Amino acid sequence: MTHLAEAQRRFLAQVLAGEPSSERLAVYRRNVFANHHDALAAVYPVVCRLVGDAFFREASERFAQAHPSRSGDLHRFGAELAPFLEAYPPARELTYLPDVARLEWEVARAFHAADAKRLDVRALSALSEDERGRVRFRLQPAARLVASAHPILAIWEANQPERDGTPERNAGSDRVLVRREGFTVRAHALSPLEWRFLESIARGEPLGKIVGDPAIGMQFESQLLQWTGNGVIDSFSLSPPR
Amino acid sequence: MSFHGVGLSLGSADPLDPDHLARLDALVRRFEPALVSEHLSWSSVDSRHANDLLPLPFTAEALEHVVARIGRVQETLGRAILVENVSTYFAFEESTIPEWDFVAEVARRSGCGLLVDINNIWVNAANHGFDARRYVEAIDPASVGEMHLAGFESTGDLLIDTHGTRIAEAVWPLYRTAVARFGPRPTVVEWDVDIPSLDVLLEEAGKAEAILA
Repeated sequence: MTHLAEAQRRFLAQVLAGEPSSERLAVYRRNVFANHHDALAAVYPVVCRLVGDAFFREASERFAQAHPSRSGDLHRFGAELAPFLEAYPPARELTYLPDVARLEWEVARAFHAADAKRLDVRALSALSEDERGRVRFRLQPAARLVASAHPILAIWEANQPERDGTPERNAGSDRVLVRREGFTVRAHALSPLEWRFLESIARGEPLGKIVGDPAIGMQFESQLLQWTGNGVIDSFSLSPPR
Repeated sequence: MSFHGVGLSLGSADPLDPDHLARLDALVRRFEPALVSEHLSWSSVDSRHANDLLPLPFTAEALEHVVARIGRVQETLGRAILVENVSTYFAFEESTIPEWDFVAEVARRSGCGLLVDINNIWVNAANHGFDARRYVEAIDPASVGEMHLAGFESTGDLLIDTHGTRIAEAVWPLYRTAVARFGPRPTVVEWDVDIPSLDVLLEEAGKAEAILA
């Protein structure tokens, strides 16, 4: 084993070195870099469009050195692009860019997430009052919440392929729900109330606690109906009795 | 349905990724594909993944290692897999076994089938200077479960397996030889970069079909 491990360690080190020692190794260097660049470009098309191909190419090479791929599944590569961009000097002035990257990563995760279940309404309505207070709802696996002090949803929408890149707003904060319907991933703007409600669910808080949240108050029931009705809440479990 | 993997890193000295294997197992159980294949290559060192099909040194140690790994995959999936020969641009000095013997021996010892990529044989024969026909003759016909064809491009010094162009004229006679020796096998024309019009693809598939008939 030691010989094989050593040969592979030596090979990859030479391939990843700045100047491979031969044209034969350089072929691998180009392939490895292209695979990683293409994987990032597929997940982060809006970031790529915002900064341009040359900037993105350079950034993705630096990123791959700082955060090498840890899986044989390329869909898992690139999770740390947002924090990387926060600390990447050439992107310093693009303060909104890391949050756009965060949104794109969640869009990609939503695409590959498991299908939603169908909420078991009969089991839910058969619960006792005490049990109802202990219900912990689950958001469908594709549901993702992203908040930003920047108008990331407007930027994301304006940079979809059919749009010219001009956002409808260039100020304000955004709270975004990402979800998947069939093979289509959508991103929706949430009101502060909707955000608070879904965030509480995502944190795993029991209904008994959410119903007492003064920030939700009278809107509790309509919120519950909205998110159970459209499938964003897809199942539940009971937290242990106190 | 035929599942074709690129991420299992069968030849790595790194441990097999149990999570990757478990997810493959779940997928195979859910869809029950007719064929499941992976590459005779490696991708990761010290858990850093190149996400590329990297070349193996053809040594007794590597042979033993990859045979054991294929065994574990087949045990987990509860079925035999096909293993594909890859294009390479680099040969390890420590290699002691010709590639064709290495590939044939992997199949014989592990009980896996082979996915014989005819273009990859041609590319390697040019890049490393051996006789492509000798390679085909070394393979046990009974082990062959599938074949691949694809286009390569030349840098001048090397042939690169790009999957971005028509199958080279010179590769068709080798495919003909392989079909004559192995018998007709399901064949995939791989073209996943610069994808042409459907007519061109169908033309390439039609050429393969005429040889299989």
